[in-house]
Amino acid sequence: MKKALTWLIVLVILVALMLIASALTGPNGVKLQGVAWLLWTAIAAVLIYALYFATAANPAWEVGTRQVVYMAIGAALYGIFAFLFNGTVFVVPSVSLVSIRPAVAIPVFFGFVFGPVVGFFTGAVGNILGDFLTGWGVFPVWDIGNGLIGLVAGLVMLFPDRRKALNTFTWVVAGLTLIALALIVIRPVVRDPFGDAEKNFFGFVWVMLIGGALALGARWVLARFGEDVAAISIWGALGILIGIGFAAIADIWVNGYPFFVAMVGEFAPAAGPNLINASILSPILLGAYTAIQSRTGR
Amino acid sequence: MAQMIVAWKYQARSTLWQRFDPRARLLFMLAMLLSILYFWDVRVLLIFLALAALQYALARLTFRETRRAWLIMGPLIFVLTVVTMLTGKGGEGVYTGNHPLVALPAFVLPLIGRIAIVFSAEQVTFAAAQLARLLAIALLAIVVPYTIDPSLYGVIFRGLGLPDKFAYAMDLAFRLVPTLGRDFSITYDAQRARGYELERLQGGLVQQIRRIAPLLVPVVVQAIVGGEETIDAMDLRSFGVRPRTWLTRLIYRRADYVLLALSALILIASTVVTLSGYGRFWVPPALLR
Repeated sequence: MKKALTWLIVLVILVALMLIASALTGPNGVKLQGVAWLLWTAIAAVLIYALYFATAANPAWEVGTRQVVYMAIGAALYGIFAFLFNGTVFVVPSVSLVSIRPAVAIPVFFGFVFGPVVGFFTGAVGNILGDFLTGWGVFPVWDIGNGLIGLVAGLVMLFPDRRKALNTFTWVVAGLTLIALALIVIRPVVRDPFGDAEKNFFGFVWVMLIGGALALGARWVLARFGEDVAAISIWGALGILIGIGFAAIADIWVNGYPFFVAMVGEFAPAAGPNLINASILSPILLGAYTAIQSRTGR
Repeated sequence: MAQMIVAWKYQARSTLWQRFDPRARLLFMLAMLLSILYFWDVRVLLIFLALAALQYALARLTFRETRRAWLIMGPLIFVLTVVTMLTGKGGEGVYTGNHPLVALPAFVLPLIGRIAIVFSAEQVTFAAAQLARLLAIALLAIVVPYTIDPSLYGVIFRGLGLPDKFAYAMDLAFRLVPTLGRDFSITYDAQRARGYELERLQGGLVQQIRRIAPLLVPVVVQAIVGGEETIDAMDLRSFGVRPRTWLTRLIYRRADYVLLALSALILIASTVVTLSGYGRFWVPPALLR
């Protein structure tokens, strides 16, 4: 009861902040209209509550001594490798604009093996440490984005086994792709969210089809190398897309970049190399850890 | 090369800025960052830029120390601002007007054709506002790693309300950096003695990335295995059973309360000013004629 009340208070504060943000939005921005947004907020809140209460007792969210130590180790390792391989200490060759950034494998690996809390801490605090070591300062939006990489990779632990995690991913991607396709086909001409004119989005049907096919194809191809390899690669990739996407899109409002600049100037150069580096190095790390785990028995 | 190649940028200095409680300094930085986000009026942003520059000056950081950060961030800020101006679509919902100001001579690009770039008064003003905003944010952000003792981060965040376990994890992470940095150095030297060369990776993209593994895997696995001893030691000392006490205590002094009050004033005033309709995007009237 107390937890439900706490989350209800959090929701009320969130709604109040949304109202304040709307009031602060300039005359040319998009303000909250009417009360329909309250209904959608309530629906989203119910979904989040349901997800929370369904998984609250899951040991994946546990933070004991083990998780505290692994959070610290993960964050320190991520910070060190991010610093060493950002061109300040080691200048490694980049191939076709893809930079070799092994550090990203660390939040993915730590989240996948030790849980979403460890993953988030590794990514967020590790990014802070890396920036401190380089002397770049602190950039909260990118710290949260890196935290999301580890958090999403760690959500695999909510499932009883890797196969269920992969199957859930498959159903969710297939379902979202079909819904997006249906929406575009039913009503392709809508108002551009970043402009005033009406725009035909039918061309995005191909983007959705190719993206969905790639995601599902990768799931089935990687599963042939083992469920663990498939799960860490797929969920790690999802974490990178969500984390870097969050940071790049947030910069649209923080720094005033247009959508094109945020995607091409920030998202693509960060997410692209991260996806490739993580997909190669995370499974290698997982294999080494599994071998050690079987020998030490812990 | 078994030497420390990972070192903090922090240096203890007797400056006015470092005499403030680190919690108050962090809260000031947060209040400034949040307040800056409200505004696109270049006049207001210049005030925030001046405040950020004042904080930077009070920290007495030299260009030599922060050179690397500025050499990377400076061009990045400049390039992204210019690209935003060239695309003409900066600031979603910030402005909609279009008063032509400067027309560059048209030129022809192969495969693309004739290109005529016209800068509007709104584009130029937005670029100036964006530059001021980004520079202010960079000045606020850069000061933090150089002026806050890494050994205090755990007690700082505990003092700001973070639960014991997370605050201790942060403290432990900062303490582990030199240790794991040393382990990295030793592993790197050992691999180099076996013919491993990081700067001359051969093969295609996948091969080159895979060849980082001999450096990454031993360091990570060794850290995890070593962590088991730390876990046992902490469990034996009943970690997490009771609220934790800290070796260092941070105590606010009068000057810190003044800084906290200033931070609150900046944030509240910014909120009130924005709610009243001021601080929106502004174009100098001289540019509109």
